[in-house]
Amino acid sequence: MSTNGTGPTIVLDGEKVAYNPGETVYEAATRHGKDIPTLCYDPRLEPFGGCRLCVVEVEGARAPVASCTAQCRAGMEVRTRSARVEVHRRTLMEMLVSENREVDVDELTSLASQEMTELVDRYEARTGRFRGRQSGASRPDDPNPFIMRDYDNCISCYRCVRVCAEQEGDYAISVKGRGFDTQITVEFDGHLKESACTFCGQCVQTCPTGALGDLKALAYRDVAGETKKTRTVCPYCGVGCAVDLLTRGNTLIGVQPAMDGPANKGALCVKGQFAFDFVQHPDRLAHPLVRGEDGELHQAGWDEALDRAAEGFLRVRERYGRHAVYGVASGRAPHEAAYTMQKFIRGGFGTNHIDNCSRA
Amino acid sequence: MTDQEILARWKEEPAPLLPVLHAFHARDGYLSEDAIRTVSKGLRIPLADLYGTITFYHHFARVPGGLDCPRVCTGPVCLQEGALDILADLAPEGATGMPCSGRCDDPVPVIRGHLTLAGRSAADLTARPAPLPPPARDGDRECVFRTIREPGHATLAGYRRGGGYEGLARVVQELTPAQVVESIDRSGLAGRGGAGFPTGRKWRAVAEANGTPKSIVCNADEGEPGCFKDRALMDYDPHAVIEGMIASGYATGAHRGFIYLRYEYPETEHILAEAIREAEEAGILGPSVMDSGFAFDLHIRRGAGAYICGEETSLLNSMEGKHPFPRNRPPFPVTHGFENLPTVVNNVETLASVPHILALGAEWYAGLGMNGHAGTKVISLSGDILRPGNYEVPMGFPLERLLYDWAGGPFDGRTIQAVTMAGLSGGFLAGDDLFVTLDEPAIRARKSFLGAGGIMVFDDSRDMVEVAHAAMEFFAHESCGKCFPCRIGTQRLTERLAGEAGPDSLVAWVDEVADIGYTMKETSACGLGTAAPLITESLMRYFPEAVSRHVTAHGPLPMAGRG
Amino acid sequence: MSNPLEDMEKPDVIFCIGTNMTECHPVAATRLKRAIANGAKLITADPRRIALAELADVYLPLRVGSDVSLLLAMAHVIHREGLTNQGFVEGRTTEAEAFLEHIEKFTPEWAETITEVPAADIERAAILYGKAERGAIYYTLGITEHICGVDNVQSLCNLALMTGNIGREGTGVNPMRGQNNIQGAGDAGALPNNYPGFQSVLDPAYQKKFEAVYGRKVDLELGPTKVRALEACGDGIHAMMINGENTVVTDPERHHCEEALKSLDLLVVIDLFLTETAQLADVVLPATAWGETDGVQTNTERRVQRLRKAVEPPGEAMPDWWIVSQIARRMGTPGFGFESAKDVFNELCELSPLYAGLDWDRIDRGEYHWPVPHKDHPGTPILHQGTFENGRGIFKLIRYRDPAEVISDEFPVWLTTGRRLPNYHTRTQTGRAAGIDYLAPGERLEIHPEDVVDWGLEDGGWAKMTSSRGCMMVRVEANARSPRGTVFTSFSFNDAPVNVLTGGGYDPVTDTAELKVCPVRVERP
Repeated sequence: MSTNGTGPTIVLDGEKVAYNPGETVYEAATRHGKDIPTLCYDPRLEPFGGCRLCVVEVEGARAPVASCTAQCRAGMEVRTRSARVEVHRRTLMEMLVSENREVDVDELTSLASQEMTELVDRYEARTGRFRGRQSGASRPDDPNPFIMRDYDNCISCYRCVRVCAEQEGDYAISVKGRGFDTQITVEFDGHLKESACTFCGQCVQTCPTGALGDLKALAYRDVAGETKKTRTVCPYCGVGCAVDLLTRGNTLIGVQPAMDGPANKGALCVKGQFAFDFVQHPDRLAHPLVRGEDGELHQAGWDEALDRAAEGFLRVRERYGRHAVYGVASGRAPHEAAYTMQKFIRGGFGTNHIDNCSRA
Repeated sequence: MTDQEILARWKEEPAPLLPVLHAFHARDGYLSEDAIRTVSKGLRIPLADLYGTITFYHHFARVPGGLDCPRVCTGPVCLQEGALDILADLAPEGATGMPCSGRCDDPVPVIRGHLTLAGRSAADLTARPAPLPPPARDGDRECVFRTIREPGHATLAGYRRGGGYEGLARVVQELTPAQVVESIDRSGLAGRGGAGFPTGRKWRAVAEANGTPKSIVCNADEGEPGCFKDRALMDYDPHAVIEGMIASGYATGAHRGFIYLRYEYPETEHILAEAIREAEEAGILGPSVMDSGFAFDLHIRRGAGAYICGEETSLLNSMEGKHPFPRNRPPFPVTHGFENLPTVVNNVETLASVPHILALGAEWYAGLGMNGHAGTKVISLSGDILRPGNYEVPMGFPLERLLYDWAGGPFDGRTIQAVTMAGLSGGFLAGDDLFVTLDEPAIRARKSFLGAGGIMVFDDSRDMVEVAHAAMEFFAHESCGKCFPCRIGTQRLTERLAGEAGPDSLVAWVDEVADIGYTMKETSACGLGTAAPLITESLMRYFPEAVSRHVTAHGPLPMAGRG
Repeated sequence: MSNPLEDMEKPDVIFCIGTNMTECHPVAATRLKRAIANGAKLITADPRRIALAELADVYLPLRVGSDVSLLLAMAHVIHREGLTNQGFVEGRTTEAEAFLEHIEKFTPEWAETITEVPAADIERAAILYGKAERGAIYYTLGITEHICGVDNVQSLCNLALMTGNIGREGTGVNPMRGQNNIQGAGDAGALPNNYPGFQSVLDPAYQKKFEAVYGRKVDLELGPTKVRALEACGDGIHAMMINGENTVVTDPERHHCEEALKSLDLLVVIDLFLTETAQLADVVLPATAWGETDGVQTNTERRVQRLRKAVEPPGEAMPDWWIVSQIARRMGTPGFGFESAKDVFNELCELSPLYAGLDWDRIDRGEYHWPVPHKDHPGTPILHQGTFENGRGIFKLIRYRDPAEVISDEFPVWLTTGRRLPNYHTRTQTGRAAGIDYLAPGERLEIHPEDVVDWGLEDGGWAKMTSSRGCMMVRVEANARSPRGTVFTSFSFNDAPVNVLTGGGYDPVTDTAELKVCPVRVERP
């Protein structure tokens, strides 16, 4: 989009473009299709200015400026991909590679887990330069079944800390120490369960290096097949958080929050994030059951079971009248279930003997 | 005091976290888990946040008895003066090192509990006042040291004998705030903490900014290695700082002031507290400053050991009880400072200059400088030099005259190999560049800067790679960890200067060090990261042979790159 | 909710009552926490010192079941302090005069004797809410699961009406719906008083409208609620079809409930698992689950969203709508020729004026809040803007009533029940998700630490808890979240069947059970 002649403009890589008042250079540039690298940016959070990968050249400025924290000013001339900033980006990526145990992590680790790998490849940063001590100490001692704490791969972008504070409001994650010895932790370096952590998984999903990982999804890493995503809505409380179901073949392998989910904007809680696998629990009913002469429930075919139900309702209606039948719809099932249930009662018996479980 | 008494004492005060933590720290001798939980609840700071913030500071002890364990200065000068031997001798008492604690003119300082000792060996440690500035060599050109050497000057009576508070009296009774700003503007006074921003402009911005209450913050977190001028000013002329702050408050419409004092000056805190008490009693501080109706209150907030808190936005975060990362700018503190409200943050020396300007006039101050530069600058001179100490020089004064005429030159039989600039932040000057004049344009032309005015001298007996390594280790230790280039870069440069990692080919080594330095200088989020590479840059510029010997001497390294 | 979820970041004063939102609606609570971080003030009224109490500027630890007296006193203070919004009251409400006279006698001092909340705190809360520019009320089952649930809700509406905190951004009276599609079940007409779209069954026009589509006349009278239907089992009700509800664990008076279902001639249960309820059925029909089903659900802010199928169901499980339709067809009921969820939903849209502007394809991205009266309508994120549905907002004159049962020498302790974060309802789902047990391995009765000592119990030990209806064993957790004399447990664990104890009474209008109040005796077993 170029200027429509009314609002203020900046010159972005030689092209005059409009910006919205209050917009940062990064926001405006991204909106105009520029692909500026960053690792500490999460659009839901306050700009942090930590990774410095998003530096751009601004005409008149002595040094490159971080585009995520710089506000657009009318007439500003911005170069997003000059040789100068690309050199810095490459050096920064090489430095990051030098402090981490590994660069390639499983795609199931989290939603953002491939961000660093992609930039390492984009800047051809696997050069082995800048070797030295590695940062971060993993916490394999934490027995929690949901969140992998593999801080050997941490790059101190603080997205986990900030998402926990700004997005989730739990303030469970903390920065210990400083400089190269900075360590992501919780109070007194304990396990997550003893902290204020609610296991909402937000930190995992925003981690760009796989230092935090979704242990439940990773447990399915050996399931064969391409990972597919299906957009749906969480099955628990009434907030209606949009999620993407991860599947391989016919196996549900995980849940990721939908960043554009209208009700949740990427937020989830422990249930929505991690309690998905009841769906494939062996206790699931796979066949109709019908109570036999012996008083026990026995597996039956659909025809038999449906006939038994239909005949039963007809018999009760015949024997006791149409007001003897009652339907209880579910607040957990979709509209279509509730709608057909009430139609079944109203259309089949002419009564209002229908309710749902909202009174419990 | 009980937990609840401590909380009650501070809870309703502005910026309560640091004093509350210090109160628990002093009472218990360390910060216990229980204490941290109590503070978290009492001040409603999330526990994890609070824990992380406490671990950020160097001096909060987390084990019983930790407060009383000796902390031995291992700054660049003290390292040359036997600090490591003292550290070893005090090891049985649980001694640990600490970065430069601002006593380079009387090394080596050791802080034990609430007391500063000094001496060149463990047996020799005594508690004694930090030195006064040496006698003036060109007295008619001094500003902040003009009256400081008079006996009893730190008391209200002594200060008044030298004409103290007369300027303020005229300000609050006769001048409008705008006139005060105008006068400071005309004097050419600029920030003496290192950034050199014109003080009058800063005050005007705060005066014109919307939002109350406004604040005056005196940055007394003198953490730069080799800098100890603010200590001298506060110890021997505390009322000048107070007078400057009140005037700043009057000029900008701020009714509260804070002195953010570095942890390592425990005696100074008592001196300031006493001066504030005297000023309050005399009606100079309080609801009606000198009966003018203008109210001004002053609070001391003591840091806890973090160089980065000398960076003004980190300092503000620290005061607010937040993690002391620097903030992104803009917005600047003049509009979004303490508690996001308009705030003047000025260095001690800047504020201490104000009373003299008020008393003697803007033109007088502007005229003190040489070659068209305004005013004076206090230089903290230390290291391999005959007469170390704080010298107030006219801006534009030749470095050579300071080193040789005023301070007596190097020790017998030695020559000056290099000096640092801006403490450590300006890197080294050596060779012909030692003939520079002391003003920003001249020093910047030599790829360095004057900054806060710390100059450490290294004679020809010193291994400059080792000096550079210690300097970089300091920056790595003090890097806050917020931005990538500084967090990783200071570490990688330290490893390379230590010979612990890096290529073993000179070309590749220089390449890596230069690339890291370039990216740090251009992309770091604050001055620490942009300044640190001046060390390696100047080392390679002035001492290429030493670098070459260093790289080739140690042979292949365990973590060597492919080069 | 009268207002959308995103509005939760906009109030300057938030009043949470009877909602443990951080545990029961955690993602909604994140928005409140953001509002608070940005300077909003929070008033929390709850018997337990829940997380929202810790975040509150004013915390009102009221005695269970005393909400009406608290809210009357708040109304009293608001009016006394001149904080009534005269313009709003005159322009948009009715019965104000009687109401304002009614509340004159309900002083905070009077409320203190009932709620046990200091009068001064009630005043602070009332003044805070009364002065709010944008005051928003949030509540959940802590308000409704009482014999006076309707009174509680109407008392909250009175506060919003007298201060004009309704029909604007960042305001409103906002119930947080507890189940993913409880709103949708009502929208779709699974109610004894309403056809789909909340069209009254008492209105002959609607009777006619649905007769035309369903092929038969439906009674022009209210059906019994589920609670009454369960009471009538074996005596008037002889067949029941239950879809996806574990009635015997969730409902009060568990023993009674089991007996009721056993007395039926026919019980058909459609579910995912062989729940405690399904085990009593004559026919159990396996339904497809979330993730296996295409469909629609409506969230608490009336946002209509699509559910999508990602995997095949186990064995022969089929969608609920298909199962119900098959039974209907086999009974000869017309109008069940649906071939897809889309067919069903589109029929609902045709019949519901609230959904008239929607269809299966239009809700693909989930941006609509009902009502959406026609195809060009953008949806209605905020209800009651400019005008109320029925003209004017009506003040109701409410009086305080004691709970159905109050503590006595025999049952001296208040029991209140609810949920905890990791588990959902009766754990049919969360109990079968790996890892949840790590966070919540079993039921705990939360008792104030001093009560634990006074009652001779031990933290982690067993307690025997008895009400007038039954008795259960449960482990003790010493926890200062519970006030003295009030204990808390969830209803999630089948081996701690708290609903054996509950069931003292029901709201006379809605038949909602008083699950939040139950006098008990707690003792060492």
